[in-house]
Amino acid sequence: MIYIFYFLFYGFFLTAIIGLLASWIDRKVTARIQYRVGPPLLQPLIDIVKLLGKETLIPAGSSKITFLMAPVIGFASVILVSTLLWINNINPAKSFLGDLIVVLYFLVIPSISIIMGGFASRNPLASLGASREMKLILSYELPFILVILVTVIKSGFTFKLGEILAFQAQNGALVRSWSGVLALIVAIICMQAKLALIPFDIPEAETEISGGVLIEYSGSGLAIYKLTKNMLLFTLPFFLIIIFIGGLRFDGIHLLYSVLKYIGLVALMTVIRNTNPRVRIDQAVKFFWGPMTIIAIIAVVLALLGR
Amino acid sequence: MSIKLNALLNSPWLFHLSTGSCNNCDIEILDCLTPRFDIERFGMLLVGSIKHADVLLITGSGNRKSMERVKRLYEQIPKPCLVVAVGECALSRGMFIHSYNCPIPIDKVIPVDVYIPGCPPKPEAIIAGVVKLIEKVKAGTAKK
Amino acid sequence: MTREEVLGDLRKKFKDDIIEVLDKSPKRVYIEIKPEAIIQVASYIFKDLKARFNTASGVDTRYHMEILYHFLIEDINLLISLRIKIQKPKLEIDSLATIFEGVNWIEREIHEILGINFKGHPDLRRLLLPDDWPDGVYPLRRDYKEWDKNAIRDRGVKCQKQ
Repeated sequence: MIYIFYFLFYGFFLTAIIGLLASWIDRKVTARIQYRVGPPLLQPLIDIVKLLGKETLIPAGSSKITFLMAPVIGFASVILVSTLLWINNINPAKSFLGDLIVVLYFLVIPSISIIMGGFASRNPLASLGASREMKLILSYELPFILVILVTVIKSGFTFKLGEILAFQAQNGALVRSWSGVLALIVAIICMQAKLALIPFDIPEAETEISGGVLIEYSGSGLAIYKLTKNMLLFTLPFFLIIIFIGGLRFDGIHLLYSVLKYIGLVALMTVIRNTNPRVRIDQAVKFFWGPMTIIAIIAVVLALLGR
Repeated sequence: MSIKLNALLNSPWLFHLSTGSCNNCDIEILDCLTPRFDIERFGMLLVGSIKHADVLLITGSGNRKSMERVKRLYEQIPKPCLVVAVGECALSRGMFIHSYNCPIPIDKVIPVDVYIPGCPPKPEAIIAGVVKLIEKVKAGTAKK
Repeated sequence: MTREEVLGDLRKKFKDDIIEVLDKSPKRVYIEIKPEAIIQVASYIFKDLKARFNTASGVDTRYHMEILYHFLIEDINLLISLRIKIQKPKLEIDSLATIFEGVNWIEREIHEILGINFKGHPDLRRLLLPDDWPDGVYPLRRDYKEWDKNAIRDRGVKCQKQ
């Protein structure tokens, strides 16, 4: 019974609220950088409520079940990841062996649900966006997994999230070392690609392929995709904070530090988003398999040497 | 007012459609989206696909070729939706009323909710027209 | 070559094809030629004088139809317009599409809008008019009549006469 409470409250409600707030921060900071006033506070929530009230149009000739189920699959996996991360953050003794690998696997599923949705709508532009998303996943997963290995190595070759948190509580955050800094930089850039933000928002390129992957979605399907993206905007920085910077603690002065950690990561992503152009898909693949992988390998070697 | 209508009026997403215009009205609509007349503070965004849109901005006098496409696009926009005709050519074909290629005005093909005259209308006029439409819908006298 | 040299060259080479030369301004000159000689004159201007083909325009006057081909010689800033008068009802002329490719689409447009037949054009189908436009109705002729019964030509506003 307690698990259902964790699932609904921590997994869904808290994540959704903080995710929508982060989306508003992103839009407001973007507006300020472009020297204009941004949207009001509740704007992301109003967007999703409005989308739930519109009719859903299913294109003729598409596979109906895949078309309607694809957003739900991504949504469910984000709730599961968020529940796991919150349970580990509150009580590090409750983690089981291998839950780091479970989290990594579940974090790929929202991207796969976008690919499924893109191919299930019978539209050549959607297929183009979905194939670009496939290439993007292939490219950024490699350095991402390598830098997760850095944290595993540094906290004593363990695959439990709880032990990584406990190690950081005793010995200081894992980012306070040369390999940690390099690993965090690579992880932030890979997170930018995972969230499909500029400079890597190739699958949802708005003016180039008029909506990209989500071109045929309307109404509730689109609402669930937008909600999934906003919840990922909380879940991914939370994951990086747990494994690199020591998790979120809510007692005393650490409450302020936690808020600053999270907002700092969101602000960094927003600033990168506003100051860069969009790259082509072949440039993105060369970037992730070239310089990023080399930096990740250097970080792994430094971690093995103990620095 | 119901939650659905309230949410629709607080975050209308725009789709811009040109049915054979001289592009002057399109430039003025583009001016509305720039930081000077910022419309994101009303929650409006420009979307790329017709299936994400709530408000259809039509410019241009309707050609024979583009009228069949406009009909198909109006069937694809998810209801409830609003249609805005921008510029003289979209109201009643303007100076092209005797042209061989523009037989009927646009509002005989799809229902239009608000008309914004001008050749081209200033961005302030476009924003005032959209705000008037929102006020009218809130007062309950517009047909959707 | 200067402007005078170009004009003198043309006058000498096509002495019996040129009907009239109109010096409109330092930048423009209108040369009227017989319809049979269009291919020779146009290919001479395009290939030997190295002029650039700009566009072609078609006019329906009361007495005849005209086609003007505009060529531009950029070094001396001169626009040469070749005027050809075609008498109704036999509206035919040789096509220039085999000589240079840029005249292909404009001849298709003149054919569907004014009804002039271009002999030898490789692909004379519709360019701009919709597919359900009736055949044989040419919009920009002087005797074009409204054929569409569903057309609405008033603004829907009734004036009050005082």
